[in-house]
Amino acid sequence: MECIITIELGTNAVRVFAFDLAGNVVASSKGSYPTFHSQPDYSEQDPEQIFITMLYVLKNLITEKLHPKKYDIRSICFLASMHSLLAIDKHGVPLGNMITWADNRGKKEANDLKNSDFGKMIYNATGTPIHPMSPLVKIAWLKNHDPERFNKAYKFLSMKSYILQQLTGEYVIDYSLASATGLLNIHSIAWESQSLDFAGITSDRLPQLMSVFSSPGKLRKEFQTSLGLSPDTRIMIGSSDGCMATLGAGVWREDKATVTIEDSGAVRIVGKEVLKDDKQRFFNYLITNNCYVSGGPTNNGGVVFEWFAKQFGDFSVPFDTEQIVDGLIRDASNVSAGSNGLLYLPYLLGERAPLWNANARGSYFGINIKHERSHFIRATIEGILYEIYSIGKILQEHREINSLSVNGSFATIPFCTQLMADIFNKPVHTVANFSSAARGAFLLNAIDMGIYPTLEAAADSTPFQETIHPRQQDHQVYARYFKIFEKLSVKLEEEFEEIANLQQGVE
Amino acid sequence: MNQFYLHHGQSSELAGFPHISEIGIRKITSIQLDSLVTTATASIRIYYILDGKFEWNINDRCYVLYPGDLAIILPGQKFGGTKGFMDIGTVCWLSLEVNQTDQHKKMIVGNWSGLSKSERLTISKILQLNNTSVLVRVKDAHTILQTIKDELSQQEVAYATRVNHLIDELLILIVRQSTYQMNLRRDFPQTFTKLEQTLREDLARQWTVEEMAALIGLGTTAFSEKVKNYTGFSPLNYLINIRISEAIKLLRRQEMSITTIALETGFYSSQHFSTTFKKLTGYTPIEFRKKT
Repeated sequence: MECIITIELGTNAVRVFAFDLAGNVVASSKGSYPTFHSQPDYSEQDPEQIFITMLYVLKNLITEKLHPKKYDIRSICFLASMHSLLAIDKHGVPLGNMITWADNRGKKEANDLKNSDFGKMIYNATGTPIHPMSPLVKIAWLKNHDPERFNKAYKFLSMKSYILQQLTGEYVIDYSLASATGLLNIHSIAWESQSLDFAGITSDRLPQLMSVFSSPGKLRKEFQTSLGLSPDTRIMIGSSDGCMATLGAGVWREDKATVTIEDSGAVRIVGKEVLKDDKQRFFNYLITNNCYVSGGPTNNGGVVFEWFAKQFGDFSVPFDTEQIVDGLIRDASNVSAGSNGLLYLPYLLGERAPLWNANARGSYFGINIKHERSHFIRATIEGILYEIYSIGKILQEHREINSLSVNGSFATIPFCTQLMADIFNKPVHTVANFSSAARGAFLLNAIDMGIYPTLEAAADSTPFQETIHPRQQDHQVYARYFKIFEKLSVKLEEEFEEIANLQQGVE
Repeated sequence: MNQFYLHHGQSSELAGFPHISEIGIRKITSIQLDSLVTTATASIRIYYILDGKFEWNINDRCYVLYPGDLAIILPGQKFGGTKGFMDIGTVCWLSLEVNQTDQHKKMIVGNWSGLSKSERLTISKILQLNNTSVLVRVKDAHTILQTIKDELSQQEVAYATRVNHLIDELLILIVRQSTYQMNLRRDFPQTFTKLEQTLREDLARQWTVEEMAALIGLGTTAFSEKVKNYTGFSPLNYLINIRISEAIKLLRRQEMSITTIALETGFYSSQHFSTTFKKLTGYTPIEFRKKT
């Protein structure tokens, strides 16, 4: 039997899946790695630990789960989280840790650029919002604050590029990940000279660009032996986790959107044209020529509810967050829609879309003497989903959306899925697969093997498990409260900044 | 009864307990200058506050203690009143002799204890690693100390065994409480990150699952399950992961010998290092170094 392996280098863990050619998951495994915060705003990971963790998990999956069942591994396809940056010297040795998407050290560089005409041009050319997350800003930060590392850097890589270099010897990056660096012109699909100027580098210090279907080359002999893989196993460069979660959620038509909510979240649509936005609120990432995944990311997804659970949950068994979350959801469902007028702004981690304000902070609003604990629980969930809706709402100014497909651990909690249907007033589909991103990577591979003729056909092959319909009465309630939510999020801008400044003084 | 004091060498009650150097309860009604000057001793000193408010310096940090709080001062740590005297109130205390093990100032309680040797070693390690000087609201400690005092005064049948058991119990209470106090036991990822940091700081040590579990206040079964769920690896495999990742960095720096790297990163020998490394990466450490 033949199978395809997908390797997802995620924010906290590597997840490896094996699919048969019909798209069924035949084996899966994961391994997590830590994030280091050596200073406020810093967020780094150890590239060697990620590499070793990946090898370890892959090897165990192959030797313990695939070889005993006589699976023949046709190819291995990679997907990774966006915006990571790793500088390496001319011997390929990492210069320090990898900087993750959540790193905010380039705040000042990003702000200055964003408010300039030059920044506007770069945004329009690259499709990546100007933000400390983007490798463009990170390289500029290194140039200004760590010239030794900047000058020593032979290449600036993404995490996936480093892993692929270890495995095959080639320095490569796919269109999708490259389009999230702020350095790629998404219209001409070449490194953007204005970005390179801003970062202070030339294009030979970046990896080689490749289509998501390409292969960087064969697996090194040593790994063929240690992993027990044949030289014919194809290494496929693949794409980014965000793009693949969209493909794997079955969204490839212009009237659909996907909502992904894990710790953070995003609302995404797919189209043949980029979304133009004067306020620079959307990303436009590239999958293949003239095929874009556009949308907006939020920092404050499941992580906010988990924060709530840890602070206010009743822990009878140590560390059992899952049980606590179940209990809280039960309590929330006993409160009616709108939490009797208690509103919550979920901006615990600042916010990206649609506010793009790192100083935004959380707030409960409208508390009265009758509100109880359960109202706060429900209001917290509603606040997270209003925020998701606020991204969807501005996307609808550009594109008509008739239905949603949801994935991610928070979005697929049935209570949350129903609330999303009610708040958006649109039918919401759930998909059977537990990892839409991995399924997306499988589909990409299957297209490459000729199993599906096009991306559309591949996306359509994903069966929807269930369709949840909006409840009109609740929608009316949410619509009224959302208006206040939206106003507050803008109105508090000045106070957000004042309180954030005070908080920074305390840290 | 508010005054009670036994001192080894003076009080016959302690003749059979060479490991108890002092035990006492004292009600302080007036301030006496220099009644608590800063000292460092070779014993573990445990103080429990019954009444009053005490301002102490422990291990170069200032603490204010209230009734129900307990202070633990490890061998070699400095301890004294912030102003050099005992504040007004009631306090009880116990001073325990410990053995120093051969390797750098590691302590272990003596054979009088009913705890196994590995349990004793783990308790000492955790106490030193946690380095929590003050535990808040540990009323159970008072009950134990009070019972030790009563046993020593009344000397009923088998009191000697009972006293030693009670001291064991007190140590277990303190070590567990100090771990609970450090980890709120709500946030596993955060707690695990802290543990990982501790492991990385002393990668050469032969960590056991029992020690790692004790550091975050879980039993070994629950701990292994949590780690497996969270990381995908068993605790020991996760540790190997860290060891190899660190070894790769050291290999790339081309400075240390393979044997030194092996020992620094916690492998028994260069042979053990070599096999584990090759199994995982496909390269022997020497081949890997040449490749870079």
